[in-house]
Amino acid sequence: MNRPEDIDVRNREAQEAVDRASTYEWGFTSDIEQEFAPKGLNEETVRFISAKKGEPEWMLDWRLKAYRAWLGMQEVTWAKLDIPTIDFQDAYYYAEPKAKPTLASLDELDPEIRRTYEKLGIPIEEQKVLAGVEGARKVAVDAVFDSVSVATTFREELKKAGVIFLSISEAIREHPDLVRKYLGSVVPQRDNYFACLNSAVFSDGTFVYIPEGVRCPMELSTYFRINAANTGQFERTLIVADKGSYVSYLEGCTAPMRDENQLHAAVVELYAHDDAEIKYSTVQNWYPGDAEGKGGIYNFVTKRGMCAGARSKISWTQVETGSAITWKYPSCILKGESSVGEFYSVALTNNRQQADTGTKMIHIGANSRSTIVSKGISAGRSNNTYRGLVRVNGGAENVRNFTQCDSLLLGDQCGAHTVPYIEVRNPTAQIEHEATTSKISDDQLFYAMSRGLPQEEAVALIVNGFAREVLQQLPMEFAVEAQKLLGISLEGSVG
Amino acid sequence: MSLLTLPSNREEGWRWSDLSALPQLSEREPTGRVPTDLPWIACEREGPRLLFVDGRLDETRSRLGPVEIGPVDVTASDHPLARLAGRSGWRLRLGLDHAPHGLVQIVHVSTGAADHLAAQIELDVDAQASICETFIGEGWANRLTGIRLFKGSRLMLSRRLLGASGFISQVDHAQVGQGASLVVASLAAGGTDTRLDGHYALDGEAAYAEASSALLARGRQRHDANVVVRHAMPSGVSRQVWRSVADDRAACSVAARVEVARHAQKTDGEQSLKGLLLARSATINAKPELEIFADDVKCAHGATVGELDRNALFYLGSRGVSPDEARALLTRAFVADALDRIGEEEVKAAFYADVETWFAGR
Repeated sequence: MNRPEDIDVRNREAQEAVDRASTYEWGFTSDIEQEFAPKGLNEETVRFISAKKGEPEWMLDWRLKAYRAWLGMQEVTWAKLDIPTIDFQDAYYYAEPKAKPTLASLDELDPEIRRTYEKLGIPIEEQKVLAGVEGARKVAVDAVFDSVSVATTFREELKKAGVIFLSISEAIREHPDLVRKYLGSVVPQRDNYFACLNSAVFSDGTFVYIPEGVRCPMELSTYFRINAANTGQFERTLIVADKGSYVSYLEGCTAPMRDENQLHAAVVELYAHDDAEIKYSTVQNWYPGDAEGKGGIYNFVTKRGMCAGARSKISWTQVETGSAITWKYPSCILKGESSVGEFYSVALTNNRQQADTGTKMIHIGANSRSTIVSKGISAGRSNNTYRGLVRVNGGAENVRNFTQCDSLLLGDQCGAHTVPYIEVRNPTAQIEHEATTSKISDDQLFYAMSRGLPQEEAVALIVNGFAREVLQQLPMEFAVEAQKLLGISLEGSVG
Repeated sequence: MSLLTLPSNREEGWRWSDLSALPQLSEREPTGRVPTDLPWIACEREGPRLLFVDGRLDETRSRLGPVEIGPVDVTASDHPLARLAGRSGWRLRLGLDHAPHGLVQIVHVSTGAADHLAAQIELDVDAQASICETFIGEGWANRLTGIRLFKGSRLMLSRRLLGASGFISQVDHAQVGQGASLVVASLAAGGTDTRLDGHYALDGEAAYAEASSALLARGRQRHDANVVVRHAMPSGVSRQVWRSVADDRAACSVAARVEVARHAQKTDGEQSLKGLLLARSATINAKPELEIFADDVKCAHGATVGELDRNALFYLGSRGVSPDEARALLTRAFVADALDRIGEEEVKAAFYADVETWFAGR
């Protein structure tokens, strides 16, 4: 089915496609031998992926069930997005770096991959960790290189705390009961078109389990990277926080320059038991396409957290600057009494980018609370939409929600849209929603420039101020990175 | 009416609607019984009066004035209910700088079946008019109104939706010209379900449009509104004030959108959607939407849903006001926000009286 010479041909083709890279700052590719699943999508592809990962029978059945359901589903059309037709048969669904011997330490990591990380600008602290500097602050990195985790640090220390931090394929092998119990419990297979596709063909991702009463001793972090030409990436992340535990998880990503559009359809499920807290932070900087809108990643992500236990808390923070198309609604189901959901978002679009992003807060438990702060920045010819839902069910007493969504427009060719839904079935609820739309005032700009800042820097400064409430929610290294990212993403949008 | 094709909840604009009663209402026969006491508003300056029974003009009890009856030039073919409204009805066309003598009053009585009627309002440069429509009876009253306001003209359109049972659907299609002003204020305070659709386009520079409504629902009633204000030219100002009150198992749903086109700079658009829940099983849905393609604009919306402010209740209590009175006072104040823009004192008083009647029925 997959003759070596075919693989060579595909690798060469992939490499050639990538060589056409031009202006994207992080548009480089690493030369690592790939092994592809055959192009296209059918039951065989699903079986191939499952077999390749040595999955048990139940996992294969689960995938096949999702695949069959997917065949009968329709692509979503309600978002304010202009999505080109995606040919799901014209893509590879699996690519894995060739197996290397197990590493004793990170120094033995493939130098090619190491260089990739360096170019990605992994924060200094984490580079120290990668270089094995003593006394470096502890951040565990589970790097997802294309579809398979190739390195996991600090596994031992985490193990001591009882924390399970594995790639999802490893977790399926080592902790099948846990995975089986929670996989699909927050985002059911048939939830939506892209989540269903992901359930069928997910290649890898992360599994985290924090046992009862444990405060995870370090921030967990995964770097995503789409690397092989035409390889859709289907990540699956599952984080379970048992009673009274705490975990902070960071996710950040960049992708190399690409001519063909790439599809990314990830699913992230969070599950919080009584008194548990999960903080999930994302900085997303995938290739947005060039100034004319050519290329760029299609990002269709389903992220959802279940606050199942009393007093549990899930907090989403995202800084979205990349991707040609972003379709993403990190949500919270607030089932537990007095549970808390938070969503802090900065979405910046430039050139011809399109973003339709927001959140859902579903209040089921009494005294549950949620906060939504969304900052949309549109520049160039881009369109940026906030779409959110706050729902209060009849049985949910004393629910409190506060929503603020502000839009900033840079230039007169872009669009900023706000589509909030509010559905309330309980009179004790207190729901507040505010939104404003504005541009950078000439006074602010004049003041900043009179202090000697060039226009672009002045704009970046003001935009950072606009987004400050959200950036404050990020862990420190991430906040610094995100601030720079906002500036870089706005380059060429003013003057 | 076997041709009745109704939209489903899967369509975005009908997400919260319940049109299930319409097919049945369409098949019923009208009783033709008209109450002797009609809800005319006593005005100092009496204007034209039109009485429509089941969508047909009762000439003996009408006084047309400048209003004409006949074919009207208005289309909203893409709207499933407006399509049914037909192409004939009443028409008010006013020439340059004209105004009718006094308030134009129109009473629609439905007597148990479905009736459809279209209307056209066209005001030439600097003309002005104030129209008050009142809906009573039972059955399904389906209306389509085309509005065209030329430079500097002014229209005040107020509607009392007081039907005892059945359904009232009203579709407005308005074009507001340069410096012209349109104010549409509605009050739903009867026992009927309602559906209000409005498409108000600010087609001239510095145009003004306001859509304000108070929706009061109890029992299993449903009020449902879907309104778009479109700023197509610079310097327009728009206001939307919606106040929903839901009791028992009732539901009020409001989807209101402000659209700002690419060149409509200096637009000032504001939305305020507030919902008040009086019972556990009641529902308030709101969707305050902004769609903005111009950068030099001031657009804001606010939405709140909840029960009466406990602090305010406590304060009134501390001043010796009884809890029931305090509740009534605050609820009336809540509703009044949406009705304050009504110009004529007599009309405003009639609206407030309707609100009182509704509360008395609690």
